[in-house]
Amino acid sequence: MAIAVEHFTRTYGAFTAVDDLSIAVAAGEIVGLIGPNGAGKTTTLRALAGILLPTSGRIVVDGHDLAADSIEAKKRLAFMPDEPHLFEYLTVDEHLRLVARLYTVPDFERRASALIQELELTGKERSLPGELSRGMRQKVVIACGLVRDASVLLFDEPLTGLDPLGIRKMRETIVARGRAGAAILVSSHLLNLVEEICTRIVIMDHGRKIADGTVAELASRAEAAAGSNLEQIFLKVTGRD
Amino acid sequence: MLAASLYITVCSAKNRVRMRLRRLREPRYLIGAIVGLAYFYLAIFARGRGAVVRNGRRRGTDGPPGFPPIFELAGTSVSGLGVFACAAVAWFLPARSGLLEFSDAEREFLFTAPVSRRQLLAHRVVRSQIGSLVASTFIALFATPVSGLARVRLALGFWILLLTVRIYYAAVTLTRARLQSDVPAVRRVAWLPTGLMAAGVAVVGVSVVRQLQQSSSGLSDIIVHLARATATGVPHVVLWPFIAILRPPFTGSTQTFIAALGSSFLVLAAVTAWMLASDATFDAVAGEGRGAAAAVEPQAAVQPARARSAGWTLALTGRPELALLWKGAMATVRGISAKTWRYAVPAAFGVFGISFGVMQANRLQGPAASVCVVAAIVAFGAVLLGPQVARLDLRTDFEHLDVLKTWPLRAGDVIRGEMAWPILVVSSMMWAGVFVAALFSGPAFPDVSFVSRWSFALAAAFAGPALIAAQFAVHNTATILFPAWVQIGTQRARGVDAMGQRLIMLAAIIVSLAIMALPGLLGGGAVWLIFHRIAEDIVFVPAAIVFAAIVLVEVLVVTELLGPAYERIDVTSIERGES
Repeated sequence: MAIAVEHFTRTYGAFTAVDDLSIAVAAGEIVGLIGPNGAGKTTTLRALAGILLPTSGRIVVDGHDLAADSIEAKKRLAFMPDEPHLFEYLTVDEHLRLVARLYTVPDFERRASALIQELELTGKERSLPGELSRGMRQKVVIACGLVRDASVLLFDEPLTGLDPLGIRKMRETIVARGRAGAAILVSSHLLNLVEEICTRIVIMDHGRKIADGTVAELASRAEAAAGSNLEQIFLKVTGRD
Repeated sequence: MLAASLYITVCSAKNRVRMRLRRLREPRYLIGAIVGLAYFYLAIFARGRGAVVRNGRRRGTDGPPGFPPIFELAGTSVSGLGVFACAAVAWFLPARSGLLEFSDAEREFLFTAPVSRRQLLAHRVVRSQIGSLVASTFIALFATPVSGLARVRLALGFWILLLTVRIYYAAVTLTRARLQSDVPAVRRVAWLPTGLMAAGVAVVGVSVVRQLQQSSSGLSDIIVHLARATATGVPHVVLWPFIAILRPPFTGSTQTFIAALGSSFLVLAAVTAWMLASDATFDAVAGEGRGAAAAVEPQAAVQPARARSAGWTLALTGRPELALLWKGAMATVRGISAKTWRYAVPAAFGVFGISFGVMQANRLQGPAASVCVVAAIVAFGAVLLGPQVARLDLRTDFEHLDVLKTWPLRAGDVIRGEMAWPILVVSSMMWAGVFVAALFSGPAFPDVSFVSRWSFALAAAFAGPALIAAQFAVHNTATILFPAWVQIGTQRARGVDAMGQRLIMLAAIIVSLAIMALPGLLGGGAVWLIFHRIAEDIVFVPAAIVFAAIVLVEVLVVTELLGPAYERIDVTSIERGES
């Protein structure tokens, strides 16, 4: 498995954000992580990215334990958060260059140029984050994640701030990376996006995994009406219908 | 709007106090609060009691804080001159008034509300009062022991002074922005206060220069000359508002305080009227389509930083520390505005060239000694204060910890890389100071031999960076081990508990630095002991090299040892500052 989360628990003082979560994502799989606000999705993704330490449990990326062998695990990871954190005084091009240096990216110039074109950042290469719109900054973060050949991609609300064309391109990019063999975990509240691009869906609520499977499997388990979409299934599974 | 402003101010203050009290449940804040309160007790009450015991009096004096006799005579007018000089300099400072700094929430809620720009400014004035009141109360509490009533007068006087200064600076900022307006009528109105200030500077400047041309035997003479220059005639009229706002805190009785208060209120009213009028003029500019934000922000200030070419492209391979050093360099190059370089660099070269020219031409010992001492102070200050001020290491980048933690780098590499650039910058400043001091030390200190002078300089050049690196190591260790106790980025935790935490950290940093320096001192001292009879002052150079080598090895070891702590650090444990 490219991503293996085993009995992951994360607490903040007395509050348990994620409780005994186990998920596995295989190479080439695109898994959607959905749930109501406060379900523990972002905590899970941040722990997977190495930002938060698990209170208990184990996270393995491409066979490398994130706690014991963090450098090798992180080399294989790309995390695209919902809130773009960029260095105030580095340009778009310099952000990509810094990432290329830290992750040792071969053929950087070609990759960067292709990504800048793909994400419609052409002409913004020498702009600082302060000169960019929120959507543009989000694209820079995505470009930094995609400029290297990460085998595990983690997207937290990847479409936030993007324009309609950007949303379509992002959708295509995620699918293309999945087809190319990357293991992808996407957290989003846009259920139609998740339904459209994900091969499997994990539903979380109150820090626990409450459902895991394809849309058809989830519909069957939730005893949803025939032809139900993900939104209807989600509301039924979480008891909010 | 005034009611709404008061509501926001009171609710915010109430909730802030409640939050600070609630956080005392955490031991780190409770310990901080105990230390902070102990400091206050010792600094205010115990000190006051000590003074009473020494003076043999039960109560403090009713007069203003004690000053030297010469200040009693000429203090107000000379201080007024100082305030006037600051007021004049404010026109040239690129910074913006804090009164015009609206928070995101204020922009969201108030800029979209049906209120005028003038009301928005009044709101900012109201909101700033808690801060001004706290600041003036602290000034009064920490002043030389005086009676309770004198403390109240001091607090009130300083409150009005701070309020006037804040409003004045806001008015200057708005007027400066008006001078850049596209509308000629708007620019013309802005020239009135600008012209008045320029005329005032000319009048007072001429008077001061005339007086200072007379011979002086010391500081007292200079103060007397300055008092003469400002106490009568047109200069006195020009300085009157500046003297008026200074008078209330320093009055000796309640009667004189009330009398002085009238004048200072008059000045406050005039400055407030000027600020509000400036805003009205700005509305005319905003009416041409610049929008609400432009109404209160000079156009230049809202422009994001431009990406200047730094002439250094990051290579795609190499040590990660160098990549982080490069990142720090980019932040420095782009963080410093073009204006700073435009003026600072030629000014520095000018000062250096003129001093050297004067020294060479006249073979004077004085100017050379001055330059030498100034340069040595720069070098000493860089070593002592540089690591506190240059925070472009983990203390700043912990704001980006989410990003740093995802990088596949060894923790030691990240820590060293983050420290590398500020160490280089502060060391360069120190080297420049040492070099200039050494260069000018010959004519300044002719009795000291060339070999001795340059030996000391070289020793300082070797030992300084090691001390600087050690300080950065200590600061970054504190950041990693106690992130909740360190000021991260520009945010700053407030309150007695936060102050107590800072005191504890300061003491811990001093002790840690002493411990780190000790092995180096022992090593360097041993070299000095063995060779000083043979090599005389030259021995300081190898002693400093040994000292630097030992301390730098310690820095390396510390950064490596910090690795596990960095890996374990929890981003949620980082204190978020209060706005």
